[in-house]
Amino acid sequence: MVDPDEHTVDELIEELDTIDDEAELNAILEAERGGRDRKTAREAIEERIAAVGGEGDATEGEYEETAETVGDEAGGEEAGDGELEEEAEEESATAEEPAEDEDEDELSHPTRDKRHVRALEDGHYEDVWVYCETQEGELLDVSKEMLGKARELMDDYAAEFGDEENVVAVVIGDDVEGLAEECLAYGADVAVYHEDPRLERFLHKPYAEITAHMARGQGSAESTNWREYDEPRYFLFPATNNGRDLSAQTQAELDSGLASDCSGLFIGEEEVANPVKTGEPGVKKTFERVLHMKRPDFSGFEYSTILCLDNPGRDFHPQGCSVIPGSFEPIEPDPEREGLVVEHEMDLAEDWFRVEITDHDRLEAGVDLTGHEVIVCLGRGIGDDPTQGIELGLDLVDAFDDAALGITRGIVTSSYQFEGHVEEYTKEERQIGETGQVVAPDLYVAAGVSGAVQHKVGMDESETIVAINTDPDARIRDFSDYFVEGDLFEVLPRLTEAIEAGELRLEAVADGGDD
Amino acid sequence: MRSAVLTKGVPDFSEGAVSFDEDGHLERGKTPTVMNPNDAFALEAALQTKVRHGGHVSVMSMGPPGYESVLQEAMASVYADDLYLLSDRECAAADTWATAITLCSALEKYQEEVRKLDLVFAGFKTADGETGQTGPQTCWGLEWPIVTHAIALDVDPDERTLRAKRLVEGDVDEIETVEASLPCVVVTDPEFEPTYRKASHRLEHKRLRAETEARAESYDEHLTTWDHVDMNLDPDYIGLDGSPTIVSSVDPIPKAPSEREATMIEPDDRDGMERLLEEMQPFAAGD
Repeated sequence: MVDPDEHTVDELIEELDTIDDEAELNAILEAERGGRDRKTAREAIEERIAAVGGEGDATEGEYEETAETVGDEAGGEEAGDGELEEEAEEESATAEEPAEDEDEDELSHPTRDKRHVRALEDGHYEDVWVYCETQEGELLDVSKEMLGKARELMDDYAAEFGDEENVVAVVIGDDVEGLAEECLAYGADVAVYHEDPRLERFLHKPYAEITAHMARGQGSAESTNWREYDEPRYFLFPATNNGRDLSAQTQAELDSGLASDCSGLFIGEEEVANPVKTGEPGVKKTFERVLHMKRPDFSGFEYSTILCLDNPGRDFHPQGCSVIPGSFEPIEPDPEREGLVVEHEMDLAEDWFRVEITDHDRLEAGVDLTGHEVIVCLGRGIGDDPTQGIELGLDLVDAFDDAALGITRGIVTSSYQFEGHVEEYTKEERQIGETGQVVAPDLYVAAGVSGAVQHKVGMDESETIVAINTDPDARIRDFSDYFVEGDLFEVLPRLTEAIEAGELRLEAVADGGDD
Repeated sequence: MRSAVLTKGVPDFSEGAVSFDEDGHLERGKTPTVMNPNDAFALEAALQTKVRHGGHVSVMSMGPPGYESVLQEAMASVYADDLYLLSDRECAAADTWATAITLCSALEKYQEEVRKLDLVFAGFKTADGETGQTGPQTCWGLEWPIVTHAIALDVDPDERTLRAKRLVEGDVDEIETVEASLPCVVVTDPEFEPTYRKASHRLEHKRLRAETEARAESYDEHLTTWDHVDMNLDPDYIGLDGSPTIVSSVDPIPKAPSEREATMIEPDDRDGMERLLEEMQPFAAGD
């Protein structure tokens, strides 16, 4: 046997790669523990044990079986620690060879990922579902906004198609029955809730399992007899950190698609020529009652409209999306509105709680840009020298009595390398716009800001807006009072100097034109 | 610790690099491809784990052969040990779910044929798709625990657990401390910051950097490319064919009618600049 004491860790790793016998590897691990007990060495041995144990641990049969026993996955196919992998290996020891050496072109065993693909075909779908996220015992504003939008969608839906379909709210947490009732006041017809002390805060696995279980109409007869369909037609989630994750995982579990960070929704028909969706090249097909999901693009100047459409032989329902907070208006809450509140029942597997929240705290409010006389905002025009751009912006801020520096989303999401001393000014906490802060100072100086609509909503209530931009056609011109057509690297220092000096000096102007 | 980092090549949106046509549509052909900026934080998290605990980092990406340069960039920045490119025409035009199925299958193959993984790292949104969905969906396929929006990470190899701080958005923003068992998927937040408190960590960091420089030069020797047959993926479940969603239209956000009549000023226009200064002077700092 290899004596680990005689090897450096690197040598040991090489030796280990030649050993396939798990018993021998375990013996080496013991020897290491009893000897030099190096962490890296132990890890390397454990890795090798896992690798040896991990070979051929899945066979075609297992996957197919899993795919068909959708309802049973609560049993916990996987456990929390590495030891399980060894058990899996023993179970499948008879199936050493993966199916790969069969005719490659045929891929004779279907996608092994099909165990993750729980597809429906020709299913029956109804209703719009809304995941209502909560925080500190209250519905988030965005939850109420989504309910308001869903109400409007379904009222229009009834008028257009003559079918009364429901707005169904989903609430998950600890002690949330009252919140489910509140959802009715905000426009829901049905509120399905699941409560459990372990669910006080969002956890990915149990929340997504529960949401998918609800959507499929699983659970006791009395908790599901209000509906007669396979899955929801549409599903809305909030585009928050947790809501977006839940949307992704729930839709994955339901084998459907979604658009993220939407700010516009409507239902209508759509003629599609894409042969993947129509099943036949050259043939157009009209999809009815399609949720059109509009989201602002990365460029900030375009909306993409995303559709989630069935393929022939594989349904993609519910049509899902996440919704940017603030995009829609809630309805006036009516405590008298009637509806159905349903408690959902489901056993939660221990195995779903492999992530534990040990502490939580409100985040100290970051930089507050509101309430200043002046805001100097920098955009991607600083790209030629991002660090100097920030410095010039800060110089101008200092020239004013009560000013602060803001930045556009373009800066936050850029790959600019800032030098350390200015980096703190480039964080999301200084972002102005739809997903940042909304400011309305007396004077707003936008340097190198193109003027995407998302930025506009964060500043267009300002008293006086001054744009500095090399492109006279930049969109910001339409909502500026002054537009200095020039390079911020030249214009900002001039402004700073002039404000500090109390006058515009001729020399400064003359020196500036060095082209 | 054995880690895989998922990364994506995206158009370089930085000023000067990005090219839009006259209608404002991105011209992908003229815009260079770079590593997704948010993925840098995932790479940092993997590097921190490697520096502190040793081990091996593989970087994985789905994309056309041209993405090799993205992987090279990733290798250099994370001192990665090897690279995996999932490249196949059948994978083209995948949405998040079809991408997640592909990544998941590749990670399964990796674990069956290379090594079991302890950690899979991914960044938050990509700069082009901006969905933030692929990491959580890949995790759903793996059936692993997941920690998203991580801003700080500590791994305990002996206990096979990790502890992380993560950001929660809501009507108030919160920070959570979570503990999870390994193996685990970690999606880093753009606020993620690696920490190297010990001198030995900083030395190791330096050593790895030196060692990696040579490796990144000859990155192609450490590159493995898998196509859909290698990953045993049915073409119906990947790429365009396997994507539930399509982009039906891209429309300019309607230009609002001008709300203000901007006074145009050339920087050398003294009268104009003086008028502007008159507007600004009332807010100047006092002496």
